[in-house]
Amino acid sequence: MIDILKRLVKQPQGLIGAILFSILAIAIIFGPMIAPYDPETFHFGSRLNSPSLDFWMGTDQFGRDIFSRLLWGARSTITLSLLATLMATVIGCTIGVISGYIGGRFDEIVMRFIDAAMAIPNLLFSLMVVTVLGSNATNAMIAIGIAFTPGMARVARSVTLSVRTLDFVAAADARGESGLWITAREITPNILASVIVEGTIRVAFAIMLLATLSFLGLGAQPPAPEWGLMVSEAREFMFKSGWTIFWPGIAIATVALTFNLLGDALRDVLNPKTH
Amino acid sequence: MTQANQSLLIDNFTLSYKTESGEFRVLENIDLGIARGEVVGLVGESGSGKSTIATAIMQAVQGKIATKSGEILLGDTDLSGLTSDQLNAIRGNRISMVFQDAGASLNPTLALGEHVIQVLRRHHSMNRVEAKNESIRLIEMVGLADPELMMTKYPHEVSGGEKQRLVIAMAFACDPNLILFDEPTSALDATTAKNILDLFRELQRKTGVAALFISHDLGTVAEIAHRVAVIYAGHIVEIAKTADLFHQPRHPYTRSLLASLPNPMSQDNAHNLLSLAGSLPPRDAPLLGCVFAERCPFVESKCREGSIVIHDDEGEIESHRTACIKWNEALALPLTETVAVTKTVPSEGDQQQILEVVNLSVRIGKHTFIDRLFGKPPKMIHAVSNVSFSIHSGETLGLVGESGCGKSSLARALTALRDFEGEIKLEGQSFKSPADINKLYRSKLQIIFQNPDFSLNPRQKISTILSRPLKLYENISGADLQGAIDNLLEQVNLPVEYKNRYPHQLSGGEKQRIAIARALAAKPSIIICDEITAGLDASVQASIVNLLDVIQRERGIAYLFITHDLNLLSHIANRVAVMYLGQIVELRKAHDINTPPYHPYTEALLSSAPILDPDVEVRRIRLEGAIPSRIGDFKGCPFESRCPRRQGDICSSDDPTGKELSTEHKIWCHIDQDSLMRMPPIWKI
Repeated sequence: MIDILKRLVKQPQGLIGAILFSILAIAIIFGPMIAPYDPETFHFGSRLNSPSLDFWMGTDQFGRDIFSRLLWGARSTITLSLLATLMATVIGCTIGVISGYIGGRFDEIVMRFIDAAMAIPNLLFSLMVVTVLGSNATNAMIAIGIAFTPGMARVARSVTLSVRTLDFVAAADARGESGLWITAREITPNILASVIVEGTIRVAFAIMLLATLSFLGLGAQPPAPEWGLMVSEAREFMFKSGWTIFWPGIAIATVALTFNLLGDALRDVLNPKTH
Repeated sequence: MTQANQSLLIDNFTLSYKTESGEFRVLENIDLGIARGEVVGLVGESGSGKSTIATAIMQAVQGKIATKSGEILLGDTDLSGLTSDQLNAIRGNRISMVFQDAGASLNPTLALGEHVIQVLRRHHSMNRVEAKNESIRLIEMVGLADPELMMTKYPHEVSGGEKQRLVIAMAFACDPNLILFDEPTSALDATTAKNILDLFRELQRKTGVAALFISHDLGTVAEIAHRVAVIYAGHIVEIAKTADLFHQPRHPYTRSLLASLPNPMSQDNAHNLLSLAGSLPPRDAPLLGCVFAERCPFVESKCREGSIVIHDDEGEIESHRTACIKWNEALALPLTETVAVTKTVPSEGDQQQILEVVNLSVRIGKHTFIDRLFGKPPKMIHAVSNVSFSIHSGETLGLVGESGCGKSSLARALTALRDFEGEIKLEGQSFKSPADINKLYRSKLQIIFQNPDFSLNPRQKISTILSRPLKLYENISGADLQGAIDNLLEQVNLPVEYKNRYPHQLSGGEKQRIAIARALAAKPSIIICDEITAGLDASVQASIVNLLDVIQRERGIAYLFITHDLNLLSHIANRVAVMYLGQIVELRKAHDINTPPYHPYTEALLSSAPILDPDVEVRRIRLEGAIPSRIGDFKGCPFESRCPRRQGDICSSDDPTGKELSTEHKIWCHIDQDSLMRMPPIWKI
């Protein structure tokens, strides 16, 4: 593990990704302690203030400190997106590996269902799920996880198909290994690199999807300091008071960038042949 | 060396790359001249830098270059001083190149004719009509039938041999001064490769073009080259006329390379093949003295001092040059004490039949839904049809045939990786379908695959890889498991510490040893070796073959040794089965492979095998055409469409019956016994 980290920070993308990730991690863990104000306290005398020494990133229409809101919001926004992606990865990977390994008619049937699910845009899919489950942050997370599962399953299956033709799978088959061993110990470690890369890129999408759901009022509910919700609420004021939308926008973009960089670097690090 | 008469002159050329760990020496002090009309062979192991010489001549070296010095002269032109425009005018025009993989050097979206037309228009500024006519002439020249039709075909529609012929047509299109061949026949089947070599020899004689012929295969080079240069770790260690090099090799490396190759002509198959210990020297550290010193059996302290003076026989270009300071003294000494191996063929009495295969067939393909809907018959490929043979304990049965003959499908059927029809009997127990195959069968019959890069899971440590068969078949666990793994590693002569490594941290030969150890872990009575030395260098191949030999003598394991290399087969096998188009056409003893009678296909295969000794006269038999399709049932002899000794309609209408010509010699052919017996041998000294 330490070895992987060492190799990760040796690469420029990995290093930048790791630095950005540490900043995000600090915000997630210590955010509420660092935050100068309570995220939900109204400062009536200073509504829509531009960034100043008192309010580093300015205030919103209710005079809430944007910097504090971002720090508080990091916890829910990033954690929920990560959990949503993790859920999609685990479920999708399981479906993909099993379907790819068994192959034949079983694979055909599973993949047609996956295709059907993928025909529905992610946003629409998660909207449907949230509508059924009710709108709150946890349900938004589950919705995103479900919406991403077919895509992850596709990726996992396609890598599985190329791995399962390799001779070590044939050797395991010839040895009489159980299906569980072959899928879990022979195939899965070899597809993990591709799946992790796909997963890290999807974290960025998950954040944006979560923001979109909150923006539409189906994820986190006001006055929660969720980044997507912040963008949504700031929309009316974006021309007069640009900072209200600028900071949460930047925060979302940074997280997306972080996970993209980490994903690229991890792909190289996790390939045993490159070190 | 004089420049007159030289087509190409490489003078003191040195190349090194910048890497993280310092300067990586690729080529050092290369001196090589190719006279007009001369073919120079360049032989070396993988990683010796032989292909880099070709890229250096083409001025196409990629990567971070640390140093590059010396001259490369094409006639009077110094190639290294040219601009890229000037180079483009030379490449494909005055120098052309033929690569190993013809499929990759042709554009799949262009018709074959278009490739040649483009070369001609680019360099000879011909108009389309002229270029087209010239292309037809060229395509005809390289022996492709029906050139006009060939012009319109696309690369995927023709065979590998035909593609390589087209690439040769492109190479000859502009009457080049020099052609560089980089392993042009390595990817082809022996019989096809032989045709390509014949073609090149004939064209070379006609046009008088000079050529550099790069190969890892000494036998191929021996056939085609006038002179041969041997390269080791970026140094040319010896250059001599072909016959001199093979009869009086001087450099210890050349001598060991020759000794590591199986030679069916020597009656000396009772000896082990020579395999050198060690590997190529590190190339990022400065070199003192001889590059071969670490592995040389004659090394002395003076070999490690200063630079090595190249011994040059007095005289002109064609002298015998040797980069060794004591070749003269060393020549009198034997390379190693060769260990005599007495091939223990079990006598009739204690021959215990391990495996018997009865009428085994493998059919690949399925009846698709669409086909059934339209009432079409299923497209089934008959990979193996009605094959029967048996293997005794302690015996090696060699299975030889060209790619696509079904030998791998047979191996996969035997390991229950493929569906099969027919019967397999293992130690008396009968198995009639893959569903019958049980754990005991799987442990008794093991398989080793061709490429250990794919057959060992890159994400598992060696200890995990070796522990699986132990856990599955022997129920070993805990402390005993570690001991058993150590024991396995010792049996394949690998250090015990390797168990904590990953496969990619091992060399190719070491990886294959792990695969052998994994097979041994199951305590098998028979191991199927599917082309297990195909990707390895000669010396590594020799060590693997010797290891298999030791294991067989110690444990009496039988091998089914699948290969396309007849020379190797005659060294390792007791009996040989020759396979063509999914059928066994001949079963014979291995030691008398040069004694007729043969099946006509065996005859052609033998005639195509590269022979190390340039003095051996090989009776010339060439096959036309490609292996026919195996979809659907066919009648008659599988070899009927290409057979040079075709008897008539009987060959395509009746299945040949096996003729028992002597004990353990069976031929499936319609030719009558007397005519078969009158066949002359293939090799004459």
